[in-house]
Amino acid sequence: MPSKAQLLWMYEAMEKARYYEDTMATVYMEGKQPKFDIGAGTVPGEMHLAAGQEPCAAGVCVHLRPEDTVTAPHRPHHVAIAKGVDLNRMTAEIFGKKSGLSGGRGGHMHLFDPAVNFACSGIIAEGTGPAVGAALAAKLKGSDAISVSYIGEGAANQGATHEALNLAGLWKLPVVFVIEDNAWGISVPKSKATAIADTSQRAAGYGMPGHHVADNDTLALFEVAGEAVARARRGEGPSLIEVETYRYYGHFQGDPELYRPKGEVEALKAKDPIERLRKAMLEGGEITAEEADAARDRARQEVDEAYAFARAADYPAPEEALTHVFA
Amino acid sequence: MTDVTVPEDLWDANKTPEGIVANWFYSDGAEVPEGATLAELMVEKSSFDIAAPAAGTLRIVVPKDGTVRPGSVIARLESG
Amino acid sequence: MSSNRQLTVSRAMAEAIALEMRTDPSVFVMGEDIGTYGGIFGATAGLLDEFGEERVRDTPISETGFIGAGVGAAMAGMRPIVELMFVDFFGVCMDSIYNLAAKNTYFSGGNCKVPMVIMTATGGGYSDAGQHSQTLHATFAHLPGMKVVAPSNAYDAKGLMAAAIRDDSPVVFMFHKGLQGLAWMASPEEAATAVPEEAYTLPFGEARVVRAGKDVTLVTLSMMVHRAMDAARALEKDGIDAEVIDLRSLVPLDRETILQSVAKTGRLVVVDEDYRSYGLTAEVIASVVEKDPGLLKAPPQRLAVPDVPIPYSRPMEQFVLPNAETIAAATRITLGKAG
Ligand SMILES: Cc1ncc(C[n+]2csc(CCOP(=O)(O)OP(=O)(O)O)c2C)c(N)n1
Repeated sequence: MPSKAQLLWMYEAMEKARYYEDTMATVYMEGKQPKFDIGAGTVPGEMHLAAGQEPCAAGVCVHLRPEDTVTAPHRPHHVAIAKGVDLNRMTAEIFGKKSGLSGGRGGHMHLFDPAVNFACSGIIAEGTGPAVGAALAAKLKGSDAISVSYIGEGAANQGATHEALNLAGLWKLPVVFVIEDNAWGISVPKSKATAIADTSQRAAGYGMPGHHVADNDTLALFEVAGEAVARARRGEGPSLIEVETYRYYGHFQGDPELYRPKGEVEALKAKDPIERLRKAMLEGGEITAEEADAARDRARQEVDEAYAFARAADYPAPEEALTHVFA
Repeated sequence: MTDVTVPEDLWDANKTPEGIVANWFYSDGAEVPEGATLAELMVEKSSFDIAAPAAGTLRIVVPKDGTVRPGSVIARLESG
Repeated sequence: MSSNRQLTVSRAMAEAIALEMRTDPSVFVMGEDIGTYGGIFGATAGLLDEFGEERVRDTPISETGFIGAGVGAAMAGMRPIVELMFVDFFGVCMDSIYNLAAKNTYFSGGNCKVPMVIMTATGGGYSDAGQHSQTLHATFAHLPGMKVVAPSNAYDAKGLMAAAIRDDSPVVFMFHKGLQGLAWMASPEEAATAVPEEAYTLPFGEARVVRAGKDVTLVTLSMMVHRAMDAARALEKDGIDAEVIDLRSLVPLDRETILQSVAKTGRLVVVDEDYRSYGLTAEVIASVVEKDPGLLKAPPQRLAVPDVPIPYSRPMEQFVLPNAETIAAATRITLGKAG
């Protein structure tokens, strides 16, 4: 069972991520109406939002320390937030500003914050190898730091995933693989992309325990992830966790979602995981509505400040494109 | 003469009042056959093709990037 | 009757594929989101409805697997068209492309053939950052065994796609996202062109003189044809008459047309949206110089992405991509009219 502090931490992280994504959805449309032009506006380019997937981030990262490494994919904001990435500089990066994490070079799919050992990439499943490598480094250095590799259920069919799982299993490295199963890889449903229904069963093939967390349940994931992280820290090797989660928005902003059954999103929203966690917290009796509201308000204020910071920031000079190619 | 009209039920105008003409596939004055794909509309994030309801000479009313609503006449087809 | 129909590049590609699929049952398509979605960049729109899931196959995100499967199917008598959603993703599956598709004909002493099309989206300019904005023309053109095409407009796209499908060698069909005519991405007006309804092919290795001129030769392809044409129109106002050549294919490369033009103008500017070093710009210049260095009255100029990854932020990205102004400026330098 999570402690009161852990519950509040997860709740705050989830509220922060949700509000961050909903704000981004609005900001992203600035300068794209009535004609939607992907290259126009305050935030141009592709935008993959993770509203609905907050449990995957909070339920795992609550067990982590700054020295633990997290790699995330193209849909990274919720995980970055839960890992403690600098929110002002992350937002400035997404706005393409000079004070962004990478001075505007990376954008939303390429967020790097070495202070908390967070990195993400837009190539599907590409974070799995580096997570294994960070775990190997920790082992060689004699530290008890661990790695968490986030991928989508679609990425579980990519070759890199299988190679990395085998390496981690073979060398008994401290890695936790988290598969966020939001049921879709862009327009392709899991049933049309994956030969088995429960991807966590694949863990057996790589000599590690596999866990399946049903229906976006934050508290169930908290338990399973706690076990997997502790096992990794003890030096007993990797684990694989698949979490059934929800994708509220389209694959990217601008996705017409013609493939999506009518009513699917509404049905998912009716069992929203943040609402569920809040209800469970309050029913547990240890946390009052005022405490929860304060956490939520704090989260939203921090997000508002991050967007204000990003808006006010300057763009980089064009010639800065030529720097930082080499170390 | 036949109007080329945006179908009333093409999208929910209460949610999104306006769309735009994203592409014309024939230029003004072109002879078009019945059923030919004339234009592509973009409504928020979705695109819809508009077919010629009859053969005729195309007279464009709403140019590329112009805004449209359900029921808008985007062009006329003059029979020759 | 319908020669006045103006198609976008994406629709021209889909039409070319549909026409081939109607007449040749060995043609099928596979890739990520090419079915219900119709391809992220519209190149397969409508195909699922007409041909069904057997011949229009959404794949898992497993590029090594399904591109390798394309090679096997091609060697077994099919004519697969596989889509690699963004060319930038070649990193996860290049072995299937350059060690199998490209080499099996040679390794088998010509006894096997690999008639497949790998179609893939290229290009930046809309802030999609360094893993979704490259063109990588030279990466593919450098490796022997693949034909490589990169059209600039709908008419060429349809004819080159049909030719690619009918070709007995692997063809990499590189289409620029910004030329597709998608409702949600800006596209130059001239990319959409009149396209005949019937099937036709265009030969590989035949460049097109888009604009005839006598003072200087601008050689390029894909999106940069439109930027070069903008530059040529601007230069015309200064009395400079530029010839613009659209290569249309990188492999085979139409060196003859380049040489003829340079023999006439004596000045050469090469423009490419790929990285600068070891690329198309160098290849074109070398092709001229090794034939006859005396053809050039002034040092040639080349414009390409300075050797850095494509940055996300708009001012930096626009800075690294060639555009009409930088092309015009380079042209003036070759003419000794800079400043
Ligand atoms: C190697 C590679 N192939 C394809 C893509 C294009 N792509 C981006 S996201 C995506 C779907 C990913 O699905 P999933 O892993 O389930 O994650 P989700 O988007 O659902 O979060 C695809 C195919 C890519 N970025 N990299």
